[in-house]
Amino acid sequence: MRFFIITVLFLFYCNIVNAKEYSVVSSKNMPMMTINELRALYLKKIIFLKDVKVIPLNLSANSKIRRSFEKNILHMSENQLKRYWIKEHYLGKRPPIMLESQRAVQKFVHRVNGAIGYIENTQNIKMFKVLYQWKDEE
Amino acid sequence: MIKLQKLYSAVFILFLNSSIVFAQNNDTSPYILGNGVQVASLPLYLGGYVSLQYKNKENSKSYSLDDIAFLGYGHVNKFSYMAEFEFHNLYLKTSTNGTSKVQHNTFLHVERLYADYTFNENYMVRFGKYNSPVGFWNLTPINVLRDTTSNPYSSLIIYPKFTTGLLGQYVNYQHNTVQIDVIGQYNANLDDDTYNNYSVDEHFGLGVTYTKNDLNLKFNVGSFKEGPLHVKSKRRYYALVSLLYEKEKYKVMGEFGTQKSKESLITKYAGYIQTTYLFAKKHAAIVRLESYNSVELSQKDNIAIVGYTYRPLYPIACKVEYQLHSVHTENQVLFSFSMMF
Repeated sequence: MRFFIITVLFLFYCNIVNAKEYSVVSSKNMPMMTINELRALYLKKIIFLKDVKVIPLNLSANSKIRRSFEKNILHMSENQLKRYWIKEHYLGKRPPIMLESQRAVQKFVHRVNGAIGYIENTQNIKMFKVLYQWKDEE
Repeated sequence: MIKLQKLYSAVFILFLNSSIVFAQNNDTSPYILGNGVQVASLPLYLGGYVSLQYKNKENSKSYSLDDIAFLGYGHVNKFSYMAEFEFHNLYLKTSTNGTSKVQHNTFLHVERLYADYTFNENYMVRFGKYNSPVGFWNLTPINVLRDTTSNPYSSLIIYPKFTTGLLGQYVNYQHNTVQIDVIGQYNANLDDDTYNNYSVDEHFGLGVTYTKNDLNLKFNVGSFKEGPLHVKSKRRYYALVSLLYEKEKYKVMGEFGTQKSKESLITKYAGYIQTTYLFAKKHAAIVRLESYNSVELSQKDNIAIVGYTYRPLYPIACKVEYQLHSVHTENQVLFSFSMMF
């Protein structure tokens, strides 16, 4: 019995340790938004929010953070998004700008008004406005 | 008409020429098939699509280079634009009861040509020629983006596929999505009148779309008149309800509509329900059930369609479908190859 309880506690601990947290961040003057609006911005269904031109940023296609963002926020798989952007090409819309690293996202968001990006909470998020947070369990 | 064709051709040549001179692959965003290419760092993206089709009916066969189209679009601040030029049936060979005929339709059509102005996250206005935002099928009606080679009859006989005029749009994404489209045309059609399924110079319509998660519901009503504005002609009224439910592995789509004049029903009903199941990453199976009853054409039919689509890459589609009609002479098999670039 004791062995069973220790095993369960150990597994629970491992789960907590592996639970990564992420934030969608922007410059301080960005208006707050609902998750549906955030989704619409990343799918380029809306471009402006309260007169601010929003520039959504993606990490590179093989990024685990991007996969987590697409799964938890956009609720779409990689293949669904590929299909989506080809249809949007026909409708005259382009996918978000892609940056290689979280550091590049932070720099871009810091310098460009209207930019939004997603980063791990281990990064320096205090200098930004946090629009949304989510947790990913590995 | 010839002058117009020359004008379109000149614009098109300029359009292509600019792409050849300026098009370059940016190292940071390499070209991806089906996503188009940016011209230098200008607000101009180019792309297009092509479609080949083979149809075999009881007494006839046809081979066609169905579509070759070129797209150009971009945006500057709150303005954006879209231009699409198309050769339709550039090559068409039909064989009926052993007699063959070849046609070359070299007219360059203006499929879409519009500019948008976005006021804010809620309001947008469009002017020019655009796909009428009626139902879901007509929003992305080209072969490579469809699941089947054929179009359902409801997308051909209920409403005008294209509108040349204004479009006002209100959308609210705060929680669930609500979108309202207001269509207005009171002027001549852009391009020749035979290209649109209805040659309309007057078209007014209203559409309401409600989206919750993966479910989209839409209701459209409208009215249009064929022929030039000053000529008295029959006014038609239409209504269409549509549904789209899309998950990663499957999609269900349905539309059901009717059309009438002041005096009587023109199309009693026309509708379909279609399911697409992605049984492997590149392979999809499609089943569509259709029915229509047109008083004007004195035709009614029930159709069952079974199709298969292979996409080695998503922007490339090889499709086959078999159509079983209650009017047996309409039974047919269709093959197509289409690609977006």
